[in-house]
Amino acid sequence: MSVRGNGRSNLAASLGEHEVVICVGAGGVGKTTVSAALAMAIAAEHDKRVMVITVDPARRLATALGLHRMTVDPVIVPADRLRRAGVPPRDQLVAAMIDTKSTWDRLVERNAPDRRTAARILANPFYQGISGAFTGSHEFIAMETLYELHHAGEYDCLVVDTPPSRSALDFLEAPTRFSDFVGGRLLSWLARPSLFGWRAMNFAAAPFLRMADRLLGADLLEDLASFVADIQRLYGGVQKRAADVYSLLRSYRTAFTVVTTLEPAPFAEAEFFSSKLREFSMPMRALVVNRVLPPALLDEEGAAAASTMIAEPAAAEWLADALDERVARDAPRHIAEAYMVLHRLAQGHARQVSRLSRLGRAPAIQLPQASRDVSDIDSLAMLAQHLRGRGEQ
Amino acid sequence: MLLSRRLLLVAGKGGTGKSTIAAALALLAAREDKRVLCIEVDAKGDLSHQLGADPPGFQPRVVQPNISVLQLKVEDSLQEYLHIYFKVPRLARMTPLARVFDFVATGVPGAKDMLVIGKIAYEEKRREANGSPMWDMIIVDAAATGEVLPQLRAARAMLELVRGGIIRGQVEWIDAMLTDPTRTLLTICALPEEMPVVEAIELHDRARAETKIGVGACFLNRMMPVSLSPREEHLTERLAGDGERTALARQLGGDPRPVAEGALLAQRFHHNGLEHARRLRAGMSVPLIEVPLLVAPRPGLATTRAVAAALEGAAA
Repeated sequence: MSVRGNGRSNLAASLGEHEVVICVGAGGVGKTTVSAALAMAIAAEHDKRVMVITVDPARRLATALGLHRMTVDPVIVPADRLRRAGVPPRDQLVAAMIDTKSTWDRLVERNAPDRRTAARILANPFYQGISGAFTGSHEFIAMETLYELHHAGEYDCLVVDTPPSRSALDFLEAPTRFSDFVGGRLLSWLARPSLFGWRAMNFAAAPFLRMADRLLGADLLEDLASFVADIQRLYGGVQKRAADVYSLLRSYRTAFTVVTTLEPAPFAEAEFFSSKLREFSMPMRALVVNRVLPPALLDEEGAAAASTMIAEPAAAEWLADALDERVARDAPRHIAEAYMVLHRLAQGHARQVSRLSRLGRAPAIQLPQASRDVSDIDSLAMLAQHLRGRGEQ
Repeated sequence: MLLSRRLLLVAGKGGTGKSTIAAALALLAAREDKRVLCIEVDAKGDLSHQLGADPPGFQPRVVQPNISVLQLKVEDSLQEYLHIYFKVPRLARMTPLARVFDFVATGVPGAKDMLVIGKIAYEEKRREANGSPMWDMIIVDAAATGEVLPQLRAARAMLELVRGGIIRGQVEWIDAMLTDPTRTLLTICALPEEMPVVEAIELHDRARAETKIGVGACFLNRMMPVSLSPREEHLTERLAGDGERTALARQLGGDPRPVAEGALLAQRFHHNGLEHARRLRAGMSVPLIEVPLLVAPRPGLATTRAVAAALEGAAA
C-alpha cells in the first residue's frame, strides 16, 4: 500500500519542512480545524514562525482558537495558553483571516499602469460585481493572499485553509482563470476602441447594442466599456502573477495536504482532488483522515456479544449476575442497539479505509472522532499531538 | 405545511445533507400526487443520485414518478433567457454575442444571481396548454450558504437598479413570488456540529434581516436515532469499567466491553445532538425538524426513502 496509514507518522515534522502547507478537501470535513491543529503542531515541532490563514467569513478559526475576535490584522496565539495545552510553540503561532476586499484593491493598485487608472477602476460600480462574482474569485483571493504573505517572507511556514469550493478545479485553476478573463479576446473586443467608436463603426454589433439598451439602458453599457478598457491594462501584471503563483505551488516549497473523512461523499471528493493535484503537477504530500471512529467498534467479539444482547432474552439476567445489579429486561437490547448504530457506521468507514491507497502516495494520519465539537484550544491541541505522532489511540 | 407551498428552497452549509432532504421532500410531495420539479443550483448531480438517476441537463428530466430534475447553470440560464425574449438561437457553444452578455451578467452586480432566481421563477410560471401549472411544486437544492442570500436579494436589488423596460416587469413578479410566504419558503439544513449550527442560525437571521422571504423550518440532520435511559447509561458505564467479565463474555459469545464503550460514545453523540437542537430552537423562530442518522453503504434512493419516512408528518 502506498499510503502509510498507521496513524503514527509525524506529519507536523515533515510538513513543517515546507514554506507553504495548503489544506484541501470537501466542505464539512473539518478543514479549518485540521489547518489550525496542523499549524499548532508545526509550531511546536519546528523553530519557525508559523501562520495559519483561514478564508471563511464565519470566523471559525477565531472560535476554534479560543480568540475573542479575529480582525483583519494577524493575531498572535498566546504562547502560555499553548504551553498549558501541551503544545508550546518553539517560536510563534499567528492566526489570520483573508480580507477579500482589501486584497482585490491591492491587486488593482499594484497592477494598474498609473494611479489614475487604479482610482478609476476602484470607483467603478462594476468593480464590485466583477471582483465578487467571477467563478473562483474566493479561491483566487486565497491564492493571492498566500502569495503576498509568502513573498513578504515574514513567516517561515504558512498553513492555508482553503475555501469550500464547489470543485477542486475552482481552486487549482483560479490564477489562470482570472488572467484569462482579464486578457481574454472578449474583453479586448469590448474595450476597443471605445464604446463610442464601437457604436459608430461596428455595424455587426448594432443588434446587440439595441438589445442591451432595451435591457439595461445605454449608460450602463458605456460605464462597462470604460471599465473593461481600464481593467485590461492590469493584464501584464496579472499574467505574471499567475505564473509566479503556479511556480510556487509546483515547487518543493509547497505541500498540499488532502483532508477527508470516511463518509462516502467527502471521500469521493478527496479522490477527485488528489487526481487533479497529480494532473496539475502539485503533489499531495500528506493525507489527513479526520473523524475516525474508535477501532474497538469493529471488534468481532463485541459484535458477537451485541447480537446476543439483542436476541437473547436471558441476557438481562446474565448482566444482572455479572454486575450484581437489577437489570431491566430491555436494557441489554437498548445498550446493544446504541452500539450497533456506530458499529455499522464504522463498518462503512472501514470500507473506505481499504480504498485509501487510491488517493496516491503520501504519508497518512488518522485523527480520532471527538465525542464533542473541537472548538477549544485543548481539543485542538489533542489533534495537534496526533499530527505529531503522539496521539493516544 | 411545507408541502403546500409552490416553491421550497433548501439551503445550508455544504455537507449538511441538503440534497438528501430536498430529494426526500420531493418523494413526499410526489406521493401526494403533486408534479414536482427539483432544481439543483450549480451542483454536481447529488440530488439526481439521491433520486436514483444520473445527473440531468438543463432541461427537466423525469427521474421518479411525478418527479423531474434539472440542473441550473448560469450560462444555460442566460442562453434560454436570450432565446425566449430575444430569439437569439440556442447554441451548443456560446457565440461572441452571448459571451458579451455573459460578461455583462458577470459585471452587473447581482445579474448572475438574478439569472438563477429568474430561471426558478420561469419554471414556476410555466403552464400547460390548458392553462394549468406545469409543476405543482418546485424544490430547490440551493447553493452554499454564502451564495443563497445574494440570489434571494437579487430581485430586490435589480428593482433598485433598473427603472424601466422588459426586465423591470419580470423582476417585479419574481420579487412578489419570493416574498409571499404562502407561496415560497426557505428551509435551512444543519448538522449537530458547531459550525453548521452557527451558519444555520446566521442564515436564518440574515434571511430575516436582509430579505422578505419566509423561513419555514430548520432540518437538523444526522441525529443519533437511539439513546439510553439514565439507568441504562449507569449499567453501561459499569459494563465498560474494570472487572472480571469472563463468565458474561462466555454467555454472550464475546467480550461486552467494546459494546459498552460504543454505546457510551453513541450516548455522547446523542447528548451533543440534543444540545445543538436546543441551540437551534433558541436561536431560530421556526420549527426544528430532526432527521435521524441513517447508516447506508452509499447515498442513493434507499437513503432518500428512509429520510422521507422519517420526515413524514413533520413536513406534511
